[in-house]
Amino acid sequence: MKPDPSALRRWLPLLARLALGAMFVHLGVVKALDPVGFLKLVRQFDLVTAPLLLNFTAAVLPWVEIFCGGLLLLGVRTGGTALLALVLLMGFTGAVALRAWALSRTGSLPFCALRFDCGCGTGEVAVCAKLLQNAGLIVLAGSLFIPPPPAKPAA
Amino acid sequence: MSASSARATLRDSVAVALAGVALGLIANAVSPRGLALRRDYFSAVAPVAAVTPAPTASSGLSAARRARLGAQGIALLSHERAVGFFRDPLFTAGRIVFIDARDEAHYAAGHIPGARPFDHYRLDKYVADILGACAAADRIVVYCNGGECEDSELAAGDLLQFGVPAAKLFVYAGGIAEWREKNLPLETGPRGGGHRVAP
Repeated sequence: MKPDPSALRRWLPLLARLALGAMFVHLGVVKALDPVGFLKLVRQFDLVTAPLLLNFTAAVLPWVEIFCGGLLLLGVRTGGTALLALVLLMGFTGAVALRAWALSRTGSLPFCALRFDCGCGTGEVAVCAKLLQNAGLIVLAGSLFIPPPPAKPAA
Repeated sequence: MSASSARATLRDSVAVALAGVALGLIANAVSPRGLALRRDYFSAVAPVAAVTPAPTASSGLSAARRARLGAQGIALLSHERAVGFFRDPLFTAGRIVFIDARDEAHYAAGHIPGARPFDHYRLDKYVADILGACAAADRIVVYCNGGECEDSELAAGDLLQFGVPAAKLFVYAGGIAEWREKNLPLETGPRGGGHRVAP
């Protein structure tokens, strides 16, 4: 039996939405459970230095992720939530890449040999694997903007 | 995607972001783990560079941190001197105090026997006990995980701000990692009432 491509196109967005939502909830919860740990890791990026902004980022960002993931899982406001997820993911990915590049330059290490805890909720990871994972998540978020195929007219 | 649909998506996105921020602020306010948004948790240490400086081989402490402690008049304590302080009868008499600057969970998992918990990020919980102990002490040893862990430096900075003289303060740079590595005794659970783990 041949797979029905249109059925696949209908199921893929649902799977993408659930996978992305689950990932956001999981990573957000890991960070929300240890705000001090997340605060220290955010500080390591040296992108936010004002104390109020640094604390705000560490305290609030995990909950934005959890909320975003929850809405994706429930299928509420999917377009807007996917857009927010996309923006967040691109921001996270850029920050990780920048820090890895700086570490690689200073330590004279090959970029992909680097491992560090990026504060992403996954603990210490290999940079290139993390960037690939984020690229996958960006594709998932982007796929949620592809309109579903038109339903087949009833026979 | 039509222009009106794109506008609606953008509007939804902003609404979701704002609702998420509101949720985060509420959660932070009600959570016992919440951060004090206005507090500068890192005032005792200089801003980090984009790259963490390499530790020096001798103490596991970077040159920058060594200089920072020196500028505050806080002495670094070698492992041998830390053990000497631990075995000194003055420690039992309360004239030498060990302070564990890690969080509660790490403290409970294993600390230097008799050390008092003092989490820089939860000052309110510990400050009364710590200041009382520090007032009676001649020497105060602060430690955390060792290596690039900044918590001992931050806790020592808090003690300075509370009026503890720098001359009394020592940072044990090797921290609990070195203590464990040398198979020295540990205490788990609360101070005094905890289970003591022999080396």
